[in-house]
Amino acid sequence: MIKTENLTKTFSSGTKAVDNLNINVEDGEIFGFLGPNGAGKSTTIKILTTLSRPTSGQAWVGGHNVLTEPVKVRCSIGYVAQETGIDYFLTGRENLVLQGRLYRMDGKAINRRVDELLELFSIKDNADQLVSTYSGGMRRKLDIATALIHNPRLIFLDEPTLGLDPHSRSQLWNYIRMLNSELKVTIFLTTHYLDEADKLSNRIGILHKGSIKIIDTPDKLKDSIRGDSVNLELKGSAKDKAISILKGDSKVKEILLENDHVRVYVNNGSEAIQWLMKLLNQNGIDVSSLSISRPSLDDVYLKYSGASFKEGDSAEGGEPWWAKWQKGGWGKNWKGGEDSNDKNEAVGWDQNWTKGEWEMEQDDKQEVTADKDKEDIKDKENKEEENTEEPWKKWQGTPEAAEWWSKQGKKEG
Amino acid sequence: MVQLVSDTWYLFNKYLRITLRMPMWALFTIIQPLIWLLIFGQLFKNMASLPGFPQGRYMDFFLPGAVIMTVLFGTSWSGVSLLREINFGTVEKMLVTPVSRVSIVMSRVIHTAVTVIIQCLIIMIIAIIFGASVSGIKGALLSLIIVFLLSLGFSGISNGLAMWLKREEPLVMLGNMMTLPLMFLSSAMVPKSFMPEWIRVITKINPIDYAVEAIRAFYSGGVSLQAILVGFLFLSLFAVTAISWATEMFMNQSE
Repeated sequence: MIKTENLTKTFSSGTKAVDNLNINVEDGEIFGFLGPNGAGKSTTIKILTTLSRPTSGQAWVGGHNVLTEPVKVRCSIGYVAQETGIDYFLTGRENLVLQGRLYRMDGKAINRRVDELLELFSIKDNADQLVSTYSGGMRRKLDIATALIHNPRLIFLDEPTLGLDPHSRSQLWNYIRMLNSELKVTIFLTTHYLDEADKLSNRIGILHKGSIKIIDTPDKLKDSIRGDSVNLELKGSAKDKAISILKGDSKVKEILLENDHVRVYVNNGSEAIQWLMKLLNQNGIDVSSLSISRPSLDDVYLKYSGASFKEGDSAEGGEPWWAKWQKGGWGKNWKGGEDSNDKNEAVGWDQNWTKGEWEMEQDDKQEVTADKDKEDIKDKENKEEENTEEPWKKWQGTPEAAEWWSKQGKKEG
Repeated sequence: MVQLVSDTWYLFNKYLRITLRMPMWALFTIIQPLIWLLIFGQLFKNMASLPGFPQGRYMDFFLPGAVIMTVLFGTSWSGVSLLREINFGTVEKMLVTPVSRVSIVMSRVIHTAVTVIIQCLIIMIIAIIFGASVSGIKGALLSLIIVFLLSLGFSGISNGLAMWLKREEPLVMLGNMMTLPLMFLSSAMVPKSFMPEWIRVITKINPIDYAVEAIRAFYSGGVSLQAILVGFLFLSLFAVTAISWATEMFMNQSE
């Protein structure tokens, strides 16, 4: 359904938002697309939905090339963005009808489909009220309904449950499952709620710095982290000391740092507590608190993205509100909230609107100089990776591959 | 082409519906010309008796000016609402559909022009009640076409500037900054015979002046057919150029 080949998006400033991305979303699956803010999720979605053009590489959506057949791609997908985008001063029904018109459906087909969707999402009773009177959950449902008006076989859901109460969230999950299982809609889902990704997705891909770190089923991902994690809370410099001590221990499988917490992965959690405490006490390290947990998707996520979702929040939490502005330039955090951490994420369409271009470039320049050394190392690593290519990678880009894809396209189209 | 027209039509319908659902909009639309005609009409009443002032009462002279003022104030908001729709995600939602990109700009510009026409109609009716003399229904209709062309042009500029500035505040600033100088660099408020030479030169490239002159001619019937044709031509060219520029700016940004 979706296939990308070395997809890359470099901004004029030189920042790579998407870096040689290769993903393959199967027909009929729910694909969870995870990654920290700024990993390039939104940029990827914008390329796949034809809102933005890649710098290099190719992408096929629903069997159509996003660069050469954008209109065909648009007709075969539905897109539910983070901002709802529905008109608040139209009624629910009017929003749906208009959307049908924009997809150039004829009047009768639109009316039939609108009734169907109103029924499906149980917004029939409010269909003729202005959207401004709707609750957040209802707006979301209407938003998803508008994306389904033309019967697409693939929809993109960009953080669909952001800001919803727990009840609306679980309700929406049921709709998403129903769309997938009964209507056979392929779903490309991004979310910051790992439990959501875990519950809904057939497969999960974790994106970090513009490229995919791993793709697998949630269960296999969790299995890949065997054993338990022991969560230690340590004070200040004790963290580094503890890490250097534990690193050398053969019983410790992995150590991850998450804000003030040190996560230690071991085979048996309850057993490990005893020797861990002993070892740390011997070295004069005070442990403020300690907990054990079974592996969850959080652990997988931390392992592959090397960052916690909460990292940004707590790093900036102690600062006065204007500190963010001073760091990022005046126009940067106009949106506030969660998106304010995004560097690369909002780039493209969104960012062009919301920031002047010169601001954008300034931000990126700072980032580039700081990351230059790291990038050199990364380049070396990339070169090493290229040498050990997997066989299917070699197959890509050959004439046979092109032919195969065009056949796929015909089948799906 | 057929699709461009139908896309534009459906989007235009949406905007018009939203506008008509604001009762306060309708109320202020009626109040605004009342205030203008009352205050300006009284303030400048005696100007009409100055030597060199064209024949007739100031109300007759001022009515085209009030119409043009409505055009300028009414169109400068067009770009602001475009930015609002962009920030709201509405534009992005449109862009993922196969809808014609040109129609997104066209529908907005036409919607603005139509709302301005509604306002101008109300002004004319009120002015007639206040005693302005209108030469006939034909003149009134022709002057509404002039209003339409001028509004298309200025709301095109507003949308184009919105795409360039990307923020609402500077856009509103620029709109306010342009409005009054453009007014006074035309014969909307003051007859040409009162102007210094250099301003009279500038009026020759000011689309507002063409509109004012044409509208005035329709009311009094005193200007040659040729002058009216030149006015129509100049204003059509202005509208087409402005809309093309706005569309170009929009397409560049939405890539």
